[in-house]
Amino acid sequence: MDEKIPTIKEMKKSRQVPDELKARVKEYGRIKKEILKALETKRGTIPEIAASTGLRQEVVTYTLMTMRKFHEIEVEGLDDMDEYYYYRKAEV
Amino acid sequence: MSQDNEKYDAIVIGGGIAGQESALNLADSDQKVLLVEKDLSFGGKMIHLSKVFPTLDCSACITTPKMSETARHPNITICTYSEFTEIEKLPDGTFTGILTRHPRYVIEKDCTGCQDCEEVCPSVVEDQYQYGMVGRKAAYVPFSIANPRIAAIDIENCILCGACERACPADAIDFTQKTEKTRVNAGSVIVATGFRLFDPAVIRKYGLGKYKNVVTSMQMERQLVPTRPFNNVLRPKDAKVPDNIAYVLCVGSRDLTIGSPVCSQVCCMYSVKQGQLLMGALPMADVTVYYLHVRAFGKGFEEFYQQSRGMGVKYVKGKVGTIEEKENGDLILRYEDIRDGSVKEETHDLVVLSVGMLPNPEAGSLFAGNALELDEFGYVRQVDMLKNPASTSIEGVFVAGTASGPMDIPDSIASSGAAAAEALSYLKRKR
Ligand SMILES: Cc1cc2nc3c(=O)[nH]c(=O)nc-3n(C[C@H](O)[C@H](O)[C@H](O)COP(=O)(O)OP(=O)(O)OC[C@H]3O[C@@H](n4cnc5c(N)ncnc54)[C@H](O)[C@@H]3O)c2cc1C
Ligand code: SF4
Ligand code: SF4
Repeated sequence: MDEKIPTIKEMKKSRQVPDELKARVKEYGRIKKEILKALETKRGTIPEIAASTGLRQEVVTYTLMTMRKFHEIEVEGLDDMDEYYYYRKAEV
Repeated sequence: MSQDNEKYDAIVIGGGIAGQESALNLADSDQKVLLVEKDLSFGGKMIHLSKVFPTLDCSACITTPKMSETARHPNITICTYSEFTEIEKLPDGTFTGILTRHPRYVIEKDCTGCQDCEEVCPSVVEDQYQYGMVGRKAAYVPFSIANPRIAAIDIENCILCGACERACPADAIDFTQKTEKTRVNAGSVIVATGFRLFDPAVIRKYGLGKYKNVVTSMQMERQLVPTRPFNNVLRPKDAKVPDNIAYVLCVGSRDLTIGSPVCSQVCCMYSVKQGQLLMGALPMADVTVYYLHVRAFGKGFEEFYQQSRGMGVKYVKGKVGTIEEKENGDLILRYEDIRDGSVKEETHDLVVLSVGMLPNPEAGSLFAGNALELDEFGYVRQVDMLKNPASTSIEGVFVAGTASGPMDIPDSIASSGAAAAEALSYLKRKR
């Protein structure tokens, strides 16, 4: 069967990727790495992950919930006070 | 522009519950219908709701079979991610306009919806179908029950890395797609462009955007569905399970200060509904509704409201003035207690703003020279509201659902039946 010629090359001729967008993609990758690092050896709640990474809580919530959507994070049970869930890295 | 004119008996603009119902009624009467939807999937707002008042039926369970019926009907052609504009009435009483199909950069017939493209895409932006609470990729299937359930490339947020194209097992990604324009003719037009949600960020005293634990009722709808953004109903700031939730009614409705004098008709009842659903999802939580009047005017509505009281939802007749955030993310509501005029404060850990409906201004610009008249509130003008409620200022053009004013789902469906019946009688008269 014939190999498909990538059409992305055509798009690149007429479009430039704004620097701001490149920076945003990079920043998301950085935050994701930080969260995964915090969960490398132990599970954590969002406030715990925020405290250990120095990231704002809402940034951790948004990114971690997005990672959960893409099956990179799994949910464990609630803490003793029934207030916060524990999250861990998904098993590959 | 394509040289071949497409011809239909009717064009329905907007694929929400109203547009689908109108299209199905006409198609069942042997009329050829083109349903034009500007979003990537049709389904409108209803496909994103949790359960519906007052029956608490699952919204998606009602909508998805109707969507399948619409998509499969031999007399209905659906164009998603498309618009129909520059509409003009011809001397013979028929209509002509331009159908614009925007590129998805995905070959519709080849995409299987496998989401392999989504998995490898590195670009993440706010997911508009989860009202910004989580992200989605630039290569994405809009949502799990989308129709059509196929991918699209959000080119504005694409870094042109090509990973999606390399990953696609069906060779369905095509970055050479261009906008296509076609002239389309039809015997009649039904406008079912729906409503816009009020954006409460403009009422700064309520703190939406600034205080992360202030959310809109549409965000709460998403938190209450099985395909929710989080793993449970949680606070967007720190993912705490809330246990003391407040509702503020009439946000963006009946408020002249923001130019929105109309009662949105659904906010009271959907708040009553959400209160009950929250009691089920979080049995330990307190729910308090701050209201001016509870308008439980429909069949079974008063009983539904009383049922929520019986379940323990608390109702406070009070006008909320300001919301302030505490260090722990809790929120202090300062309100006027209407019963004695005193100003009080109460702390809650999550606040839901029951946002109102606004007219969709696009309805007015569909026709050449903005020929379709709007009423004083910005909705499509009903010229003969009592005798022919679907008739508009242009003979042969009819309005269905919330394009003519705020209404709930049963009323939207009834109004769509009226629009289809009036369109059918117009078509018969002109033949
Ligand atoms: C938070 C919330 C909860 C609710 N809960 C309930 C409930 O429990 N029970 C109930 O009965 N009602 C409820 N409602 C009301 C319900 O959502 C509406 O009655 C219903 O969605 C109206 O349907 P519609 O088709 O008129 O409009 P929409 O759902 O707004 O659909 C309009 C469609 O037209 C498309 N469109 C817009 N402009 C164009 C254009 N220019 N070209 C092509 N397509 C276009 C849109 O993309 C959309 O798909 C709720 C509303 C809200 C906000
Ligand atoms: S080319 Fe664009 S859409 Fe495709 S994977 Fe890369 S960023 Fe995502
Ligand atoms: S575009 Fe390709 S990879 Fe993406 S969902 Fe469709 S078939 Fe799968």
